[in-house]
Amino acid sequence: MTFPPEAPLFPPASRARRQFLQVSAASLAMVGLSAPFPAMAQADLPPLEDYAPEFFTPGEWAFVLAAVARLIPSEGAGPGAIEARVPVFIDRQLDGNFGQASDWYMAGPHQADAAPEFGWQTPLSPAEVYRAAIPVFDDWCRDTLGAPFAGLETEAQDEALTRLEAEEVPLAPEIRDFFKILLANTKEGYFSDPIHGGNHGMAAWVHIGFPGARAHYLDWVGQHNVRYPLGPVSISGERA
Amino acid sequence: MIFLRILAAFVLMGIMALVAIIWLPVSRSPLSESVPADWTASPGEGEYVMRAGDCMACHTAENGPDFAGGRAIESPLGTIYTANITPDPETGIGSWTLPQFRAAMIDGLRPDGAHLYPAMPYENYRMLTERDIRALYSYFMDEVEPVNSPVPEPELPLPFNQRWGIRVLNWAILSHDNGFDGTMGDPVLDRGQYLVEGPGHCAACHSPRTVYMGQDGIAAGEPDFLTGGFIAGQEAPPLRGQGSRIRHWPIQELTTFLATGRNFESTANGEMGLVVDHSLQHLTDDDIIAIARFLRAADRLQHEAPEEAVATGPLSIPYAQANAEGADTARMLTGAQPDMPLGARLYLDNCAQCHFVTGRGSPGIFPALQGNSLVTSSEIAPLVSIILQGARVEGTEKRPMPLVMQGYKDRLDDAEIAELASFLRQAWGNAAEPVTEAEVAEIRQSGEAIGH
Amino acid sequence: MARTDAKKDVVIVGLGWTGAIMGMELAQEGLEILALERGPNRETVPEMRYPNMIDELSQGERHNMMLRPAQSTVTIRRNLNETALPMRKWGSFLLGNGVGGSGVHWNGQNWRPQPIEMQLRSHIRDTWGEEIIPEDMTIGDYPVTYDELEPYFDRFERVAGITGAAGNINGEVQEGGNPFEGWRSGDYPMPPLPVTYNGIKFAEAARAMGYHPFLRPGGNASTSYVNEYGMQMGACNFCGFCERYGCYQYSKSSPQTTILAALFRKPNFSYRTGAEVLRVEMAADGQTATGVTYFDEEAGEEVFQPADIVILAAYQIENVRLMLLSGIGTPYDPVSGQGVTGKNYGYQITGSTSMFFRDEHFNPFIGSGINGVCIDDFGMSANDFGALGFIGGAYISSAQTNGQPIRSMPLPQDTPAWGAEWKSGIAEWYGHQMSIGHHGSVMSYRGHYCDLDPTYRDRHGRPLMRITFDWHPNELRMNAYLKEKIEEIARSMQPDVMQSSYKDYNSRYDVRPYQTTHNTGGTIMGATPETGAVNRYLQAWDKHNVFVTGAGAFVQNTQYNPTGLVGGLAYWAVDAIRRQYLRNPGPLA
Repeated sequence: MTFPPEAPLFPPASRARRQFLQVSAASLAMVGLSAPFPAMAQADLPPLEDYAPEFFTPGEWAFVLAAVARLIPSEGAGPGAIEARVPVFIDRQLDGNFGQASDWYMAGPHQADAAPEFGWQTPLSPAEVYRAAIPVFDDWCRDTLGAPFAGLETEAQDEALTRLEAEEVPLAPEIRDFFKILLANTKEGYFSDPIHGGNHGMAAWVHIGFPGARAHYLDWVGQHNVRYPLGPVSISGERA
Repeated sequence: MIFLRILAAFVLMGIMALVAIIWLPVSRSPLSESVPADWTASPGEGEYVMRAGDCMACHTAENGPDFAGGRAIESPLGTIYTANITPDPETGIGSWTLPQFRAAMIDGLRPDGAHLYPAMPYENYRMLTERDIRALYSYFMDEVEPVNSPVPEPELPLPFNQRWGIRVLNWAILSHDNGFDGTMGDPVLDRGQYLVEGPGHCAACHSPRTVYMGQDGIAAGEPDFLTGGFIAGQEAPPLRGQGSRIRHWPIQELTTFLATGRNFESTANGEMGLVVDHSLQHLTDDDIIAIARFLRAADRLQHEAPEEAVATGPLSIPYAQANAEGADTARMLTGAQPDMPLGARLYLDNCAQCHFVTGRGSPGIFPALQGNSLVTSSEIAPLVSIILQGARVEGTEKRPMPLVMQGYKDRLDDAEIAELASFLRQAWGNAAEPVTEAEVAEIRQSGEAIGH
Repeated sequence: MARTDAKKDVVIVGLGWTGAIMGMELAQEGLEILALERGPNRETVPEMRYPNMIDELSQGERHNMMLRPAQSTVTIRRNLNETALPMRKWGSFLLGNGVGGSGVHWNGQNWRPQPIEMQLRSHIRDTWGEEIIPEDMTIGDYPVTYDELEPYFDRFERVAGITGAAGNINGEVQEGGNPFEGWRSGDYPMPPLPVTYNGIKFAEAARAMGYHPFLRPGGNASTSYVNEYGMQMGACNFCGFCERYGCYQYSKSSPQTTILAALFRKPNFSYRTGAEVLRVEMAADGQTATGVTYFDEEAGEEVFQPADIVILAAYQIENVRLMLLSGIGTPYDPVSGQGVTGKNYGYQITGSTSMFFRDEHFNPFIGSGINGVCIDDFGMSANDFGALGFIGGAYISSAQTNGQPIRSMPLPQDTPAWGAEWKSGIAEWYGHQMSIGHHGSVMSYRGHYCDLDPTYRDRHGRPLMRITFDWHPNELRMNAYLKEKIEEIARSMQPDVMQSSYKDYNSRYDVRPYQTTHNTGGTIMGATPETGAVNRYLQAWDKHNVFVTGAGAFVQNTQYNPTGLVGGLAYWAVDAIRRQYLRNPGPLA
């Protein structure tokens, strides 16, 4: 039974006094879904420069901050990756299941240089790819453009990323997909629900007009060619 | 207020009692019918009476063994714990004789002569037939597993811990004869009347209470019979008379509600959910139909039997469009304009998925909020608690799927829930007082205190 | 070491759609039944509850509702000469997991096959002559006809609560439905859902070209629904989180909404989660199975579960693997063409054209799993295989199932993938795009099959399933034909920008982009033990108390999403078990 143990015979003195019966909190806890939403409102988060990374070293962190700032820059309408706190998202992802590839089949033998259509074949986890690739790319930037990536002017950073994307930066097969992973994670951090650390204030959703976790549009199915007007709501209930 | 009134009543009764208790012996009611000594219940008969009487809901603690008691019954006067009614001789009723069991059921007396607290609805069980009492006794003695489990003493302050006071109370509330005589002039309606008045003890919640805490209307013909009451901080809505919503239900919606805890606009929550789960879903279709027909006849309504108590699938039931009272709210919600009031925005963000902008829900599965007594009740705790913690309607034989609503205690703060609840209470033509943030906070805290 | 539990009448491997159907129907016979599910328990609340469920990162990207490849995956190669490599994370398809199986995370698109797809080889022989069938194409006839299955398609649609508009009732074409569909004995149990703007635009364009648009049928409720078991659904609200998600509001057809709670009330039915079946055990004479051995996750030990009847109701891939691991049927040899278990692995082929309309609003986040308009004018029964130079067919549709921005952000091709122009591009184009795509058949071929991988193993040391598959010229020709037809419709709609995404003649099978989880074959039905691993009642030819459900039975894949045929075959087979097998256990064919 999921009812609190009570059944008073008489009307209570205060209309707010009594609890009602509910879904058992225990049943939620049992399946590990009872983690509370972040208690801290997003507006109260410390500034990005004060964020202490869980996964990244200071050098890696400087790279990630600089790289995502070029992948989704701050200028123009809409948030950049920095305003969206994408680096926090990536740090948390790499520190968790995704970063460790703990859900993936990672048993050998590995054939990291297999044709790309075979998908993920490196023995490295995503976190290990970042860890191995950032210094290689920084070295390439230093050798080719005169400074590690974070120290370059923005035009040079864009050039470096363009050449990384075009596979002009020599990378071992184990880390050859580094740019793809970085870009994919950046966009994930930009567009995912703020509970994961990015998309701060749902500004990326506002930017494109995605209403988030509202999940009720039956009355709009037949409103053809009319822009849906209402801003987003997040899983934790923020409104924008 | 209520506390003082009850206290005053007790004081008055106490003075009378001082005199009367000394002079009048405890008496047990005479047999209401003669039953041959060798009569025995047919297989399953006693269990069926137990189901009809809904013994399990009160006499089983949360996650506790069946009938081992210990469920806390809270009242403004204090907490009492339901008895262990398993046949355990030490902590249950294993040593009780049939006459002792019968006295508990219809006279509210323990074998030692002490009075049972009137949380036990002997006021209604008093109408049980002698056969049903015997069947029930055999069931508890022969078919229920004994559980050795002592039950805590009541936690009541003076004077409410004085059981002799109940004796005086009983003079007031047990004035009716024991046993049952149908008054409806039709065997099916009489059967319905028996189930409602006797074992079903519907009046215990759905009739108002007198100042002596007796039920104001325990049988058909009494003016306030089933005209609405309160139970467990929840409104038990009127089943007849002015303000009864079920008056307007087609009879098959009533039978479906009784048998499955859900129908075209409503779900059985709280205490009524327990009644469906432990009692009504186990009754035969004939009995469910008899109950429904009696309730309608008692309200002077047409009472033709439906084709079946619960319609058999496959059934496709279109969802309800907004009606005249709800049209403005539905239009405003459909507009989805960013400047809508906060309560409406919260409704779109949290509730409209299932209850729709019409406030009329999805028939049979998600209840209507328009005209829903739980939403508009003067008792706000059920509504606010459901928003906080969610709700669960148990599956039943004919509608096996449990219907579960998740809670929003982590997604909405007290101020937001107050806005949302106030919106619900005034949308689609609902007209109830708003809810305050402080009230939500109080309900949230009391919920956390019991582990939610 | 291994525990042995008390014998059951029936043990069911996997508690998805077919496990639930088999469990329910056989429980009604009073049999003692145990279902073993390797994944977790899943209920609408709490496991799928709003709002936590609709988290694109967790479900859409990280596949939290799916089988973890770490637990089990497949290896893939394109031909016999390649070395197969494991699918280390999901891509091309997503294998389900847990109670409800893939019936939890599907979109709900539900079709019946066309009658000619069931007797395809005969149909081709009778119409064009067998010589148009390529030498390496191993298509055949299902040993059961559409007409025989019709009542069982109907039954599944009524249990699952399928919405749609009939196009052919008892041979009479119905206005508004699919005129190319096989006959149906009655209308769908629920009317079709309304449709979004893209669907209307597509329907108008298609109609103007003489095609026959209709609303897609499927398992998203359009009304409140109650099925024969008393199970219920509520009307879908187009939340736009369907495929890859569990439905938090009881609107998607799933074992959870249509069968399980009713089944769980049966005292003679029980199930275990965290119970991964390792193999089927055989009697000493090799004629029958004695039960299954599974790994009990909680106890951390192997358990032998004896049973009189073993039903393999796992996903196609796991069913084939269990048959091969247990020695049921003769393993298929692609060189000699001998053997049956693992034969005729099939898949599907898709392609789409994207259209951008700068000044029009599509609100792409408004979607249901089945939302869309289809035409079947290029389906199997409409195509002249002899003239077209390929064997196959496809339905064409404009769908709008979700606007989740991580995965659903189509942009004109000249938009950079990152940088300032990408950022302005997403705001400029999100919500101004629609697409038309096709969903096409893939025939069976001698070299497309499943066997046990020689190298890669799961955590229990069992070989992974190895899939050998690539695109065949027959399908690529069909794909090119459909591209032409779709682009013709798309051009007529005069979009501001139009671009296409189809495989070309050089395309190789690529495990990375998601396509469909419509893997078929490997446990194919056959009229003889030489042509099928199971007979027409899904009974293993060589072990009469083993039944194998699911899309593995497909002799060749159809042009449609497979669930309708999977559900129909399950009801067909269990009916035979109830009527014949229980009375007289032995081969049914």
